Amino acid sequence: METTKDFFDTWIKSQERIVDNLTESRKKIQQALWGLGSNGEGMSGFGDFQNIYSSWTNAVMNALRDTGTVDINVIRETLSKTLSGSNAYLKLYEIWLPLVKAIREKTVSPDAYKDLTDPVKHKEMLDRLFGFDPDAVSQAASQARKFLETFTGSVQQFMKPWAAASEKSSKTFPTLVEGHPESLMKIFHDMFEAFDSTIGRIFHVPAIGKDREKIELLLRGIDDLSVYLAKNIEYQNMMYATGLGAFEKVVESAAEKIKSGEESITFDEFFDLWVKVNEKTYYALFQTEDFSKMQGELLEASLNVRKHFFKLMELYLYDFPIALRSEMDDLYKTVYEMKKRVKGLEKRLGEVKREVTI
Amino acid sequence: MKNYLKELSEVNTKLIKGTETLVGIDEIDVGTAPKELVYKEDKLTLYHYTQEGKVTCNVPVLIVYALVNRQYMLDLQPDRSIVRNLLQHGLDLYIIDWGYPTKADMYLTLDDYIDGYLNNCVDVIREKTGNDKITLMGICQGGTFCGIYSALYPEKVKNLVTLVAPFDFSTNDGLLFSWAKNMNVNALVDTYRVIPGDFLNAGFLMLMPFTLNIGKYVDMLDVTQEKESLLNFLRMEKWIFDSPGQAGECLRQFIRDCYQGNKLVKGELKVGERLVDLKNITMPLLNIYASADHLVPPAATRPLNNLVGSTDKSLYEFKGGHIGVFVGSKSQKELAPAISKWLHERGNEEPVKKNP
Repeated sequence: METTKDFFDTWIKSQERIVDNLTESRKKIQQALWGLGSNGEGMSGFGDFQNIYSSWTNAVMNALRDTGTVDINVIRETLSKTLSGSNAYLKLYEIWLPLVKAIREKTVSPDAYKDLTDPVKHKEMLDRLFGFDPDAVSQAASQARKFLETFTGSVQQFMKPWAAASEKSSKTFPTLVEGHPESLMKIFHDMFEAFDSTIGRIFHVPAIGKDREKIELLLRGIDDLSVYLAKNIEYQNMMYATGLGAFEKVVESAAEKIKSGEESITFDEFFDLWVKVNEKTYYALFQTEDFSKMQGELLEASLNVRKHFFKLMELYLYDFPIALRSEMDDLYKTVYEMKKRVKGLEKRLGEVKREVTI
Repeated sequence: MKNYLKELSEVNTKLIKGTETLVGIDEIDVGTAPKELVYKEDKLTLYHYTQEGKVTCNVPVLIVYALVNRQYMLDLQPDRSIVRNLLQHGLDLYIIDWGYPTKADMYLTLDDYIDGYLNNCVDVIREKTGNDKITLMGICQGGTFCGIYSALYPEKVKNLVTLVAPFDFSTNDGLLFSWAKNMNVNALVDTYRVIPGDFLNAGFLMLMPFTLNIGKYVDMLDVTQEKESLLNFLRMEKWIFDSPGQAGECLRQFIRDCYQGNKLVKGELKVGERLVDLKNITMPLLNIYASADHLVPPAATRPLNNLVGSTDKSLYEFKGGHIGVFVGSKSQKELAPAISKWLHERGNEEPVKKNP
């Protein structure tokens, strides 16, 4: 069993793991930028990049489930949620067993009980509950790297100065490990600004064409992704810290009940207490302006990634004989306006007919 | 320790048996009260419920549900159906099914829903029944729509009944109200066009994450061996996750002007080219709110009575939560009869024919 201190160690390790993944990605990006990347692979990395959307959507909204109206889907979903709920219930049980043993044997002191809980298991439960997926972050970075490798392979001559500038910002990485997730944002902002103020100037000259737009959008997309990742880490940190605080309250309350000579507390009672205290604690967090703002910023960050991804996608698909999203939007707008006009005319016609009849 | 292991073993047994019962169910029937289609426009459908008894209140009632989730919540199961209950009380009921918007509907505005679809449905019922005015019964966001409509077309509305409908959005009592204020709705709509139902559901689940994601499924294990109880649970699950997407432009205006700008209360809300003045609501009003509503708190619903021009206005407190208004036993025993009584007292002696 791990202590609370171990929990924080684990948390930091998980941050390190993320940074390791990003560092690895970054190395590969730079290799690609310096001419070591694959060349002429066209759009083969594009499908991978698309998965970024899935990754962050899962992490933020946990909302990409198939919700068909056929009953079998409802049953399947319910079953899946029941199993998931039971899984969380059983994880809580694993936390509960050693705890209750210590409380009963009176080996627990007011300060020591916190160390008896298993925060790693607790974190796993919170991950499941809120849809956090640590792999999603590294996966997103990996996909971005793959795409960049492919892309920069064909435009490396434009990218070298940017790569040189970006190397400087790599020194910022260690600060992330020290618990400053905002440094991740800084890294990518620096990278983008470096690009924008050096090689980017060339691209600001009109009539360079779609390649310039692609590069800018691509870098903007990575910039957006970094903002999203940093926000997500901040958000998760807030949720874990709240969860840990709530769990301490639960344990404290259970220990008090047993020590005060109340009848043996069953696991069901402990579970109910756990749900009640957590709901109350999280509700207090959710009510704060800080949380509301954080949630709004996280959503906006994720939407920016998606928005720029779609723009980039359009640029790539522009020459293909298919209807693009923006073109469909125009079409929908036209159909909408025409329908509205026809409905208005039909209504007016009906009124005129009635007037004539009278 | 032996007892604890026994407890755990019982949960596992319930889980296995519950799984068996779950996979043995192949139909989750909802919205079973007989009805006929009377009007269709784009994705909207207007239904008329079949009155098997005698109509004792001759002002037809149009039920308007929210765009979020589906209207069959009012007829979730035969013994928990506010629709069946009101039919048994002799009311003549119509209901709007807004349908499932697709990207082709992304430009639909508040004006299209209220001054377009809703107005057309009202006209269809007026025409069909020969009544000059009808009763509007709006639920949740549908209640807000009905309030706006009644302010725009008071001449077509005989009575207005609102259930758990938000009007004053300045409150932060409900988490959704607080969260919506910091949401960049322009980014949301511009990115998605039609906002996925799952996105909204994720927000609803966050209101009580432990209860809604774990607690209720663990509790469900206690009823898995009773097929009827399990079916009731599944009907609710079906409803919760049967979430239509939201037409972007309409949602943009609803969040920006109502949740963020509170324009309805300030008299600044524009629907199409018209300003909505709630003082134009002069017909009898029955405003029903739920005392423990965590989705639409009383602070958002109650103020309506002070904003309208009606002299005949009633405020009804339902002791329970948002969903309990539709499916709770109190809803069936107390609320539905109270609505029926209120409407019968404000019915017509005979149908009021439209002016020639």
